[in-house]
Amino acid sequence: MATTGNNNLNAKLVLLGDMGAGKSSLVLRFVKGQFLEFQESTIGAAFFSQTLAVNDATVKFEIWDTAGQERYHSLAPMYYRGAAAAIIVYDITSTESFTRAKKWVQELQKQGNPSMVMAFAGNKADLEEKRKVTAEEARLYAEENGLFFMETSAKNATNVNDVFYEIARRLPRAQPSQNPAGMVLVDRPADRSQAAKCCS
Amino acid sequence: MFGTRDMSHEFQPIMQYYRPSIHTRRANIVVKFQDLYGFTVEGNVDDVNILNEVREKVRQQGRVWWALEASKGANWYLQPQTPPLSEGISAASRKLSALANTIALKRLIRKGIPPILRPKVWFSVSGAAKKRSTVPESYYDDLIKAVDGKVTPATKQIDHDLPRTFPGHPWLDTPQGHASLRRVLVGYSFRDCHVGYCQGLNYVAALLLLVMKTEEEAFWMLAVLLENVLVNDCYTDNLSGCHVEQRVFKDLLVKKCTRIAAHLEAMEFDVSLVTTEWFLCLFSKSLPSEMKEDELLMASQVGDVLSILHRTTHHLYDPDDLLTVAFDKTGSMTTNTITKQRKKQEPAVMAELDQRLRRLNSLKMDDKSPVSPRE
Repeated sequence: MATTGNNNLNAKLVLLGDMGAGKSSLVLRFVKGQFLEFQESTIGAAFFSQTLAVNDATVKFEIWDTAGQERYHSLAPMYYRGAAAAIIVYDITSTESFTRAKKWVQELQKQGNPSMVMAFAGNKADLEEKRKVTAEEARLYAEENGLFFMETSAKNATNVNDVFYEIARRLPRAQPSQNPAGMVLVDRPADRSQAAKCCS
Repeated sequence: MFGTRDMSHEFQPIMQYYRPSIHTRRANIVVKFQDLYGFTVEGNVDDVNILNEVREKVRQQGRVWWALEASKGANWYLQPQTPPLSEGISAASRKLSALANTIALKRLIRKGIPPILRPKVWFSVSGAAKKRSTVPESYYDDLIKAVDGKVTPATKQIDHDLPRTFPGHPWLDTPQGHASLRRVLVGYSFRDCHVGYCQGLNYVAALLLLVMKTEEEAFWMLAVLLENVLVNDCYTDNLSGCHVEQRVFKDLLVKKCTRIAAHLEAMEFDVSLVTTEWFLCLFSKSLPSEMKEDELLMASQVGDVLSILHRTTHHLYDPDDLLTVAFDKTGSMTTNTITKQRKKQEPAVMAELDQRLRRLNSLKMDDKSPVSPRE
């Protein structure tokens, strides 16, 4: 849940979606500005944090990037419990991932925190030639369900930061700010890279 | 250190204050190198020194193993596949010597198996050798031939994960590495269709390939782990075994590390958020070492807890540190205790998962949308 202290907000954010939809890549792009063609598959979930300044407040996101394989579904409640925001990710080149994403939306609507800010992200927008899910269809679905929708590309950075800014802007605050413009990214040293290590 | 024991106690806080600054200076020099299994390790000068000490210890251990091979025979530690049928004194003395070997072996293993002997010792001690001996010699080759070219949901997911398993590793991330890992995982997905493929196994199988050197032995190690060593249903369907393990772990944490457990509880931090990965990858991606109790107790934010845990799980250079925690600090914990704990937690897990399933089914009925294809 989002907790406030002066103008600083801590917000738990969870990413959900089918395996390979690009959840980890979106986070990596947002947190470190990087993109890896082959991102290590996430097991359980991975944690990241990133702070954004929106208007005169800062939002510190505590991001849980979850594993996408269907059988990991039973672990998900532990990650979305108490989350202030969620990004439900699908891959625009996969109708299966779109179906999966809709199921996540349903589950969050029933089980999640009622004031949760939900973003619906159609990732891999750079793969236009392989597109299977139209932006119109997704937008309509998002509107019907009260989510905000964006097509993103972690690969070429399209709309990635924007999704997080929009969430930060929409998070409920103790003292809502009146001036809507002007968002600044707070400079923060990048976390040490997570090198693969072996137990030997 | 200064010769007066009482003084040193008084000086301690100051010492601790100064030591990090020296450490920080040295820590600035980052050294990159490959470890025994080809993983790139990054560390500072102190880490390199520790690693060199560990290497020397392993070399010394190697000499102990060779000496034992010389006196007891090359395969003294291999477990007999069927107990020899004999009578009287010879049987009793054989039993006794087998017992002595078992005790000696346990002690030796805890001091480290020389890397070159690991494939043989792991294969035997894990029970993989016994498992393979129950099927025809050609089992693995036949299986791989039989499943070649078949496409299933599991094979699709495996293909998706091959380049995402320890990417950048000098062997795993090559066409040969991918092909080997694929055969092991695809082969296993057909051997046990309840498991099929579960993410996490890619890391386990990859590490087994690196240690065991041959695909077939890696395959049998994977089989014995899933079928005999680990708790049931760790990787199937709804990961119920994994849920059981998490509950057991949390229960033990409360008993063994009361202060940490209470502190995390007060922060409303569910430790499973982090430990699930440890268990599902069998510690191949992260291996916790020291407990860092003081640091954890100081942490007041989730992010701080996670960065402490991340640091300790990605910074193990001396395996003896882990063994000290496991056997000296944590105290006695037998397999029996853990088995009992698992039995105790099973019903609660089953009830919870069942309830969840019913809730999700009611969601589906609300939606009236067709059920999407299962993975």
